[in-house]
Amino acid sequence: MENTINLSLLDGVLSEYAEVKGSLITILQHTQEIYGYLPKEAIELISEKTGIATSEIMGVGTFYTQFRFEPVGKYLIMLCQGTACHVNSSELILQTIRDELGIDDGQTTEDGLFSLKCVACLGCCSLSPVMMVNEDTYGSLTPDKTKKILKELREAAQ
Amino acid sequence: MIHLTINGKQITAPEGATILEAAKQNDIYIPTLCYDEAVEVYGACGLCVVEAEGIPKLLRSCSAKVSEGMVINTESERVVQSRKVAMELLMSAHDGDCVAPCQLNCPAHTDCQGYVGLIANGEYESALKLIKNKIPLPASIGRVCPHPCEKACRRKNVEEPINIAQLKAFAADMDLKANSYLPDIMVRTGKKVAIIGGGPAGLTAAYYLNIMGHSVTVYDMMDKMGGMLRYGIPQYRLPKEVLDQEIALIEKSGVKLVNNVKLGKDFTINSLKENNDAVIVAVGAWQSSSMRTPGEDLEGVYGGIDFLRAVINGNAPVIGDKVVICGGGNTAMDACRTAVRLGAKEVYVVYRRTRNEMPADKLEIDEAEEEGVIYKFLTNPISFNGENGKVTSITLQVMELGEPDASGRRSPVPVEGKTEEIAVDSVILAIGQKLVQGDVSELALNNRGNIEADPDFFTTNIDGVFAIGDATNRGASIAIEAIGEADRCAKAVDAYLNGQPLDTRVPYISKRDEKAIDYSDREIKSRLTPKVLPPDVRNKNFDEVSLGFTEEEAKAEASRCLECGCREYYKCKLLGVAQLYDINPERFQGEMPQKYTRDENAFIERNTAKCILCGLCVRSCREVMDVHAIGLMGRGFKTDVSPAFSLPLDQTNCTNCGLCVSLCPTGALTEKSSLQKQVPLNEDYTEEFVEIDGKRASVLVSRYNGKVLRVIPNDELSRSMQLSREELIEKLT
Amino acid sequence: MKIVIGQGSCGIAAGAEKVRKALLNTNLNAGDISITGCIGMCYLEPIVDIYDDDNNLTRLVKVSENDAEAIANFVSSGDQSAIESLIVTDEDSEFLSKQTRIALRNCGIINPDEIGAYINADGYTALKKALGMSPENVIEIIKTSGLAGRGGAGFPTWFKWNAARQSEGEEKYLICNADEGDPGAFMDRAVIESDPHNLIEGMLIGAYAIGAKHAVVYVRAEYPLAIKRLKNAIAQATEAGIIGNNIFGTDFSCDFMIKAGAGAFVCGEETALIESLEGHRGMPRLKPPFPAQSGFWRKPSNINNVETFANVAWIINNGGEAFAAMGTEGSKGTKVFAVTGKVKRSGLVEIPMGKTLRDVIFDIGGGMKTDKPFKAVQMGGPSGGCIPADLIDTVIDYKALGATGAIMGSGGMVVMDESTCMVGMAKFFLDFTAKESCGKCIHCRIGTKRMLEMLERITKGEGKEGDIELLEELCYSVKDGALCGLGQTAPNPVLTTIKYFRDEYEAHINDKKCPAGECSDLIEYKIIADKCRGCTLCARNCPVNAISGTVKNPHTIDTSKCIKCGKCYSVCKFGAVVKE
Repeated sequence: MENTINLSLLDGVLSEYAEVKGSLITILQHTQEIYGYLPKEAIELISEKTGIATSEIMGVGTFYTQFRFEPVGKYLIMLCQGTACHVNSSELILQTIRDELGIDDGQTTEDGLFSLKCVACLGCCSLSPVMMVNEDTYGSLTPDKTKKILKELREAAQ
Repeated sequence: MIHLTINGKQITAPEGATILEAAKQNDIYIPTLCYDEAVEVYGACGLCVVEAEGIPKLLRSCSAKVSEGMVINTESERVVQSRKVAMELLMSAHDGDCVAPCQLNCPAHTDCQGYVGLIANGEYESALKLIKNKIPLPASIGRVCPHPCEKACRRKNVEEPINIAQLKAFAADMDLKANSYLPDIMVRTGKKVAIIGGGPAGLTAAYYLNIMGHSVTVYDMMDKMGGMLRYGIPQYRLPKEVLDQEIALIEKSGVKLVNNVKLGKDFTINSLKENNDAVIVAVGAWQSSSMRTPGEDLEGVYGGIDFLRAVINGNAPVIGDKVVICGGGNTAMDACRTAVRLGAKEVYVVYRRTRNEMPADKLEIDEAEEEGVIYKFLTNPISFNGENGKVTSITLQVMELGEPDASGRRSPVPVEGKTEEIAVDSVILAIGQKLVQGDVSELALNNRGNIEADPDFFTTNIDGVFAIGDATNRGASIAIEAIGEADRCAKAVDAYLNGQPLDTRVPYISKRDEKAIDYSDREIKSRLTPKVLPPDVRNKNFDEVSLGFTEEEAKAEASRCLECGCREYYKCKLLGVAQLYDINPERFQGEMPQKYTRDENAFIERNTAKCILCGLCVRSCREVMDVHAIGLMGRGFKTDVSPAFSLPLDQTNCTNCGLCVSLCPTGALTEKSSLQKQVPLNEDYTEEFVEIDGKRASVLVSRYNGKVLRVIPNDELSRSMQLSREELIEKLT
Repeated sequence: MKIVIGQGSCGIAAGAEKVRKALLNTNLNAGDISITGCIGMCYLEPIVDIYDDDNNLTRLVKVSENDAEAIANFVSSGDQSAIESLIVTDEDSEFLSKQTRIALRNCGIINPDEIGAYINADGYTALKKALGMSPENVIEIIKTSGLAGRGGAGFPTWFKWNAARQSEGEEKYLICNADEGDPGAFMDRAVIESDPHNLIEGMLIGAYAIGAKHAVVYVRAEYPLAIKRLKNAIAQATEAGIIGNNIFGTDFSCDFMIKAGAGAFVCGEETALIESLEGHRGMPRLKPPFPAQSGFWRKPSNINNVETFANVAWIINNGGEAFAAMGTEGSKGTKVFAVTGKVKRSGLVEIPMGKTLRDVIFDIGGGMKTDKPFKAVQMGGPSGGCIPADLIDTVIDYKALGATGAIMGSGGMVVMDESTCMVGMAKFFLDFTAKESCGKCIHCRIGTKRMLEMLERITKGEGKEGDIELLEELCYSVKDGALCGLGQTAPNPVLTTIKYFRDEYEAHINDKKCPAGECSDLIEYKIIADKCRGCTLCARNCPVNAISGTVKNPHTIDTSKCIKCGKCYSVCKFGAVVKE
């Protein structure tokens, strides 16, 4: 998987931001948009172009929860861990996802279809418990509803 | 200039100065672990907090600037509480052993890891000196000590503990063979100390008090010095020639030895007191304990130490062919093996528990068996039977192990109605010994019948009279215990003589949770023991059984050491601050943030389990050196210092400038020494200069006993040259 | 004729976009269909507002895409019969009518994607007015208004502006903190998604007041829609000459920049936010120096929260006195709350300071949504605390709320009933702060972790005597010793729950019981034989086969096998499964 990294995809981002000071996080965000995660080769290229040491880049990358260093599945499930979701039993939803997919927070299913990430409040508290799958938000979840959503996503992928 | 008050002291400071700077300039100490002038202020550790009047929040003095009329308290109750909790939290997440468990478990706190490590490096002289910091009789003790150090040795979790005691004997023998080490003696104080009793306790106290400059005389009732080492331990275990040599060295160092004088006969404690500034009573326990069993007074029943002493003095009693020894300790072993050597045909050891519960050293138990001793476990004498006043048999009650008692040991209980009788020619009772009370009638005794001595100060009921060793408190114990007491007593007496207070607080020491340590990556290397005389040879004479380590064996055995204790122990800033507050990190015990791992290159070793995240390494690498080899990774509790992508240091652009190591306040970063096996040593660091490209560059040189262990670049020039340590050492010499 | 669909993130998550697409597929005129931001009645999403030509509003709630034809039919024929059930009730309408909206005045009304809509609602008139005054005058008006920082700390806005104005230096920055990280708070997101120009206008006025030529908005990455709408608004305002050089023909110039956060709660702390803006790890800097002296790129900087800026244009237009007329002695104006949890009507509530918690939770929020009684309300998120039922009449005022041990906070208000374990609640927040601690200072990095471990032990039934006291000691030490606001306030949820619910802690520690029945290690599930109909549903759902029984006969739970997942409890239709 690693050897298929096409670094030329970064050209645009780097020509726009490499010289602009304070842009590291922005560059990393764009990089992750391109690859789905932050490949080591990309970080090394960013370091070369910006003059920021890889130790600094990794320091920043590992500080923020948004960044990933491994490829994620086709569907990235972001399960909200906010207070309202907690009060409305988001723990049950987490358990359901664990049971259904056999993965824990931060893991990806073997078929590469689903990744699970527990995230800070998504701000849809009125719909709690909530999860986002890629760009779509699903609210007022119950274990059954969650199972149904996962099933539909799996079917859609086939 | 700004005028302000710190701790009631009025001071001035330049405008723009921080409170920390102002305090420092006025010799007011404020602790900090993350501040260094070389890098920008960071404010992580929070130890430098102070309280300022009129400001509700605590101020971090590293960043808060002085202002006119400020009133600051650097040691208020609130400040101390804040620092205390900070240190407790920090230590609860600091996974490291300051000191190796072997050293902690040694009653004399001998630096086992230190001398074992030095032996591994072939630095025998340094090893011996290190030992003699705590034990003045190492050749003797190395041979006889039941080595509590080895019980604590972590190597047992891999296969077997290091043979620490024999390594000590090895280093000491090397010293006795060559130019024997004599300690430097401090300027004479003119104070006089008399010590009663020339056993391990008395000799040790004498040795150290003499080094401190006091004039010491040891008085002993026997022909020769050595106490129980001489009169209680058989020749085959500790040849008297070895003991003689070690005592001679003590005498040579300046201690006056007087034999054949007895307390109560030739002098009294009070009479000594009149002619000396202090008196130490170290008379030992010279009376065999009774078993309170009928027939003990029969002819042919001997006390263990009485029997051993008679043999040593050349007055061996006629013990006959069948001998029974009662007891399971080391004295019992000495007695039975001596009996074998005297020619007894059947030698029994009667012990009421089983082999597993025997307090004697395992090696002794095994060697005695090899020599023909017969063990009768789970039996207890209930009477000694005689004819015409002479013992002829012994009746034994058969026992079995019952429920475990409070200490967890299963206590023996009699099997109703089951007894056994053995015909004997003599019986030796080796069940303990006690103080001869009449000798110390001037001193107050405790309810056990021993001298009552303060456990920290060793004082007795008479001012200026101290007491140590087997004669005191809990009674007879092992020699190293007496030596440890004697060493501490010497310090107490010194403080007494100088009219100075003595700090008896036990220093805080970070200890790893032994259960949590993973040894799976350690290669199995079996324990080496010195060769011994074959059983059928040794059981016929009193020649020393152990042949001692060869140099090769000693090095190999010493190299097995796991190096538990921290190499930065002697200059750990973290540990220093930990001593200032009465901390108890255990109340916050929890998960450790990092795994105990090692990453090393040729010069630098990293262990993030010990890291306190002060950030000095990362900041200096970035701000001062502009190298950026390491960075802070992750966040929160799991924040880690590491090169990018967790690469080993080797694969980064680290220039080995060593700045991070010199700024690290604890043992997370260490500069390796030129020694093959790394050893924690109390090194001297001095600034010296080397010539690099015609320019003078500053380096920090660490020496131990004159040997250069490390050279660390100390200025911009030396750091930027990227010279190897070998090249730097070469430039130095 | 106008058909407006509420399209805040909540609305979209509830299906508003599907509704919009469905409406576009009807015979309705596409030009009549538009969107607005968050209406604030989140519990009724998706919401469709239909304005007739006389601007009379018919509000439809909980609309689904299947209702599209009926809506189209209603619009063309006026026939309400098919949509009767969708029309908002009078009771629900009170949720909005009882509010006083200043910061949210345009939210759910105007189209956030069109600058014209904002201008039609008197937008940018305040900026024009302010540019006609001296900066000092602007600051004076803000001072008169009594506006205080809405991000949580409640520091007087004029004071910060003045400090930044007084700071020497040509280059200054005005920064908006939109890193709304409190779990349970979404006021700022709603403002940006619904009325981005209001934020821009407030910021431009602020920039003018302090003398900044650069304005920066730091938005959390979790708010993609907010970022999109704000970007769009900035582009429109730039095109309209409202952002850029010589704004409204004056000497005042100001550029605008959006920076997206990358997921770190601590970046809500202003110095950490600045570090993050500069592209570093978001670790707080030492104060002093304060951002007003040395902030972004070490230049004088002023940072305010979204809601604070959202009030500025209104204040300039209506005068500081009008704003100060609302509220209490020490707390002026209105405050927006995100009311969630076990409350019947959840959503955004803006009310004048001085109202009580009861007004918000019961009068506007409609009370509990379950039959369990109200237990407490959590305010201020991880920095705040739990206020118990008997303090429900506490006045909304910085000082009064502070006196309870909680804080006003940024506006998160999570309502809890008797089924919420308060020790569990404290553990939830400590888990959050421990995860979000940047790791710089000892007290926060290790202290929050150790507190969490203690709370975990207590909720597992492994608590021991002295734990409460030790927790308290650690709490006070962390408050005193932590470097930044995150650590200094992290103990608040623990301290307030201990203060008001000590008996619950004691029950966990001494009796090994969880009174709320939430801590799984301390509860047992049982089946009441009388109520069990033997439907076998529980047995079929039990993941560990701990339930046995035959059809139509009462079932039993083998407690030694039970993993306390609660599945039987949730599937039982007869209330036969109970937890003890």
